[in-house]
Amino acid sequence: MKTYSYKKSKALFQKAAEIIPCGIYGHFSPAPLIPVSDYPFYVSKAQDAHFWDVDGNEFIDYMCAYGPIILGYNNPVVESAAEMQREKVNCATAPGEVMVQLAQELVDTVTIADWAFFAKNGNDATTFALMVARAKTGRKKIIRLKGGYHGVQPWTQSPDHPGITFEDAENMLIGEWNNYEVLEDFVKKNPDQIAGIIATPYHHPTFEDNVLPAEGYWKKVEQLCHKEGIVLIVDDVRTGFRIDVRGSNEYFGFKPDLVAFCKAIGNGYPISALVGTNEMKEAASKVFYTGSYWFSAVPMAAALATIQELKENEVPAMLAEKGRELTSGLQKIAEDHGFHLKVTGHPAMPYLRLTDDPSLMLHQEWCGECTKRGAYFTSHHNWFISAALTEEDIQKTFEIADDAFKAVKNNRK
Amino acid sequence: MSAQRIKAGINLYAILKNLEDLVAYDNEARTLVQDRKICIQFTVKNGPKAWVRFENGRCTVERGKARKSQVHLWFSSCEHLNKMFDGKANPVPLKGFTQLGFLKNEFTKLTERLEYFLRPENVPLPDNHYIRMNTMFTLTIAAFALPEIALYDERAKYTASHLPDGTLQMSVLPDGPHVYLTIKGGKITAGKGKADHPDAMMLMKNPQVANDFLNGKSDPFTAIALGDVMIKGQIPILDGINLILDRVIHYVS
Repeated sequence: MKTYSYKKSKALFQKAAEIIPCGIYGHFSPAPLIPVSDYPFYVSKAQDAHFWDVDGNEFIDYMCAYGPIILGYNNPVVESAAEMQREKVNCATAPGEVMVQLAQELVDTVTIADWAFFAKNGNDATTFALMVARAKTGRKKIIRLKGGYHGVQPWTQSPDHPGITFEDAENMLIGEWNNYEVLEDFVKKNPDQIAGIIATPYHHPTFEDNVLPAEGYWKKVEQLCHKEGIVLIVDDVRTGFRIDVRGSNEYFGFKPDLVAFCKAIGNGYPISALVGTNEMKEAASKVFYTGSYWFSAVPMAAALATIQELKENEVPAMLAEKGRELTSGLQKIAEDHGFHLKVTGHPAMPYLRLTDDPSLMLHQEWCGECTKRGAYFTSHHNWFISAALTEEDIQKTFEIADDAFKAVKNNRK
Repeated sequence: MSAQRIKAGINLYAILKNLEDLVAYDNEARTLVQDRKICIQFTVKNGPKAWVRFENGRCTVERGKARKSQVHLWFSSCEHLNKMFDGKANPVPLKGFTQLGFLKNEFTKLTERLEYFLRPENVPLPDNHYIRMNTMFTLTIAAFALPEIALYDERAKYTASHLPDGTLQMSVLPDGPHVYLTIKGGKITAGKGKADHPDAMMLMKNPQVANDFLNGKSDPFTAIALGDVMIKGQIPILDGINLILDRVIHYVS
């Protein structure tokens, strides 16, 4: 099978490195794409479940822009809604009518939502959630869990990282996923001081197997929060609308007070939301929080169309089915080559790992070999399935995976 | 813990460690100690201890107290030791007055030779031997300074306590040098050479890349994306070690 080369990507990066810190920074940095020589750095166009890099190589995309693309690139319904809104107004002196329509859609769709607040990025929503929890309770401390990702504000980061101080983490208590006892212990040791607990609905860290909630875990957390007057915040930024349109908490059977969404709700348009219960509404209204582009109408129109499409086509069930077909097929191919491919997390956004080498080097090599054959696989992060992924794409992926396993075996001879 | 304590640990355990390779790979240095059999003990009051032994044309530097030493140099404080390394103070010899000639002559010349290889800014046209030695020493200093920084620097201590267990291999391509770091329960130990089964690898494309990278002159994300530094394996180990490496330049001048 022919493998790709990335001459233009690399040349563009050389130029970028001179004028942009890190060349490409943040979660798009190529650094965790191992080996970097197997990956493209710049995209030129995208359609459905595919993107093309600046060298003209075509990829079946299993990262979906790290989550935002759920219906596929350039989904006609979403693009049409966005275009219609753009013709009327986008960024103006007052919000568009669509803001109210979108809020109503979220309130009607997300079970716990009695109100909705809009911003741009997931981090805007999670940080607002913390502020609302503090405003509601008059308390300072927040519990978050080790390995949980909630954005890049200082409170979300480890205090030993550049630009972060130990004071930034002063009011943060770090628990562990599925460890209820640690949470209970924090509550006992910090009476009437904990404003909120923030966590993702299931554990999806990078470089590690993903972990679903243990039986009864969320119910116990919910009860603890109610008993102690702690605000329960779900960070549904990555998972939201991929597992359940009513909120991922519904899938796992519990009721938080606040839920933060981003990524999938706009199918690529920049928008995030925090939704909450009526009990939280007054506190939310007291926190002054805003941004220059938070009222832009086009992303709101796109989000409205996206959510309607997700509901109408029962997309979460579709994603789970496609994810299961993909991962079970890949596991079978791995087995045929004498490898063991472990799949964890939810099938709509699975995390895969070849367990034959605990150092991850084998897995990194295989993902790289797949990518340079046209199936864009990362080795450090969960993947994302899009509704635009076709049966043909999946079958092509299997062919690529098979050839990549052959290459990996050959490389090791 | 004070910066002086960290610097003292680096001076004794990382800078002095280079005498081993200096004697092994530099003819001029080896000639100075070829026929000597002598062990020098360095002791800092309430601080680090190390010994340097020359025997059969080889040099060995280790932490702690030597079983038997011919010379014992004592320092009243970490600051005292650090000043000596900066050429601004003298040690207190507790033992080995008959060996003072060796200290003043051969040993001083040896440390001057080491300093020559550590200061590339004073060498306008370095030859291959110089580049090789400088790279080797830079890598050794980085690797052996890391445990000291991880023990006593507030930020690095925090990072080390959150590091996953495992071994990181750091190599300069194509032919070395190689060092490795082993992390267990937040404690870091350094070693020279290749690790048997590394959990993570950091491969630097050539000596110049290694020099820039280890001296904080290049941004890791860019260096990795450009392919100058290749990484693989358990990246969380590399992420943490990189944070501690960032602290090295605060203590090593």
